[in-house]
Amino acid sequence: MIAGLLFAAFAALMLAGVPVGAALGLAGAVAIAVANQQTQWFGLLAVPQNFYAGLGKYPLLAIPMFVLVGAIFDRSGVAARLVNLAVAIVGRGAGMLPLVAIGVAMFLGGISGSGPATAAAIGGVMLLAMQRAGYPPAYSASVVAAAASTDILIPPSVAFIVYSVLVPGASVPALFAAGVVPGLLAGLALAIPTVWLARRHRMGAREAAMPRPALWQSFREAIWGLAAPVVILGGMRAGWFTPTEAAVVAVFYGLFVGMVVHRTIGVRDLFPILREAGELSAVILLVVSLAAIFAFSLSTLGVIDPITNAIVSSGLGENMVLALLILLLIVLGMFLDGISIFLIFVPLMMPILRHYQWDPVWFGVILTLNVAIGQFTPPMAVNLMVSSRIAGVRMEETTGWVLWLVAAMCVAMLCVIVWPQLALWLPQRLGY
Amino acid sequence: MSLPDPSLPERIDEAQAPRSLALEDWLTVLSMAALALITFANVLVRYFTDSSFAWTEEFSIFLMVVLALVGGSAAVSRDRHIRIEYFSSSGSKRRQRFLALLGALMVAALFALMAVLSVRLVWDDFRYGETSPGIGVPQWWYSVWFPLLTALIAARAMGLFWRIKRRTHASSPA
Repeated sequence: MIAGLLFAAFAALMLAGVPVGAALGLAGAVAIAVANQQTQWFGLLAVPQNFYAGLGKYPLLAIPMFVLVGAIFDRSGVAARLVNLAVAIVGRGAGMLPLVAIGVAMFLGGISGSGPATAAAIGGVMLLAMQRAGYPPAYSASVVAAAASTDILIPPSVAFIVYSVLVPGASVPALFAAGVVPGLLAGLALAIPTVWLARRHRMGAREAAMPRPALWQSFREAIWGLAAPVVILGGMRAGWFTPTEAAVVAVFYGLFVGMVVHRTIGVRDLFPILREAGELSAVILLVVSLAAIFAFSLSTLGVIDPITNAIVSSGLGENMVLALLILLLIVLGMFLDGISIFLIFVPLMMPILRHYQWDPVWFGVILTLNVAIGQFTPPMAVNLMVSSRIAGVRMEETTGWVLWLVAAMCVAMLCVIVWPQLALWLPQRLGY
Repeated sequence: MSLPDPSLPERIDEAQAPRSLALEDWLTVLSMAALALITFANVLVRYFTDSSFAWTEEFSIFLMVVLALVGGSAAVSRDRHIRIEYFSSSGSKRRQRFLALLGALMVAALFALMAVLSVRLVWDDFRYGETSPGIGVPQWWYSVWFPLLTALIAARAMGLFWRIKRRTHASSPA
């Protein structure tokens, strides 16, 4: 009864456009009050207590730091130089520029940890160039949005950090390692329809006439950007830094590159960079901590076990349950943002996970793949929103293009579901 | 992960923007910078001296809480929190306005509730002389900021509420 109230209140508030965090917190608070009518203050003291406990976790510190890394590399001029190098390598020809966009987005994924930041960085550099080369803006915006979504799979990734805070059995290094192969696979899956569409519609006719940058010089200019993932991921792999420390080292590395080497960041830019990154981190952290109130009322109401039992004893079988869960996640991903999906569904799914003995790291990768697909699936698609705005097209115009890419990435996800070793091989190999 | 993009133009145009978010913005920038510097210093100290100052962890967590609350306060004022706009940004102007007002009011209600309730938590920390586990300073030095900053968020949400109310009054035909 009260559990029904909890979910109904949350759904109603959220659909009404109340901020997701507030909807989570309020629904949780109301359910706590209704369940504890006899207690002093209706047991509501648990509200601030759980909020504070949900926020005061040291591993969460990695979130503001990785957001800051993204904000700094966004303006460090690294993206433009990486694009130059990529063009110098693959050359000019129909379908090459979109391919470069995908490659560079994946590479930036190895530096920053959030999709929309990469969509903005790549979009700012690539979209105009692609338009000049004769690619329709709606197509380019779709490619950039989809490519940027691989960012949350390729380490470092804010999504994996949140998942690891929620799931004690899945460590950040293991998740980061598990995301590498599926991330590359997703990028590859996107490249196929991207080039195919470009060829079929004879786009980019003017691209072949554009000058090809000199290989050696573009390599020398891009070297600082090329080294960044080595510093971040290599430092973590070698055990020099924790994920949070790796992020901070990347912050100072990015500042050095931006302020001293490429001179794209001045002292005056520091305030807006810190302010924007801080505000964005605060938005994420507040959702995380307000969800703790929701999770607390969910666990004290004792509804998780009955739901699990109902699902497990429904006679559907393991694969059917998994298929239904994925379907549910795809639908939710179209409307909900990634953090909320994690925070609401991971606690609900953990008992099912344990019952079928699914690997929590593998499941985290599947969940993140789902969220990645949701980032560019209309009608709610953050990455597509960002790239369409930069390209100057309405999001509806991209639908015909972006659905091809959604389908391609779903195939990649299917592969990881069918062959869990795609995700689990690397962390096992590295001994996490 | 889905995040609102920092480069998005603010949903509220300049004329309706709050008079000043300088307090929140400065605190956001300072706590963000302090977090980065402390963690970086930790790496350097450990690298060069083989010792670490683990006590900074407690202070970093405190700074992160401050960051979440002051940054969240500015984000409330700029109406930048993650929300589903599918229904609230479509339909009649009347509905949009109603839902925007509802959203601001709900945020105000939640954070006002937390501000009031957390006064009790601070009072308990103070009354029982709780000390922090890491540094050993009185716990209320940290927790006293909690009711203050949640109250700030509630106030900013009410500010947003009044701005929406005034804006639509001014623009709607009489």
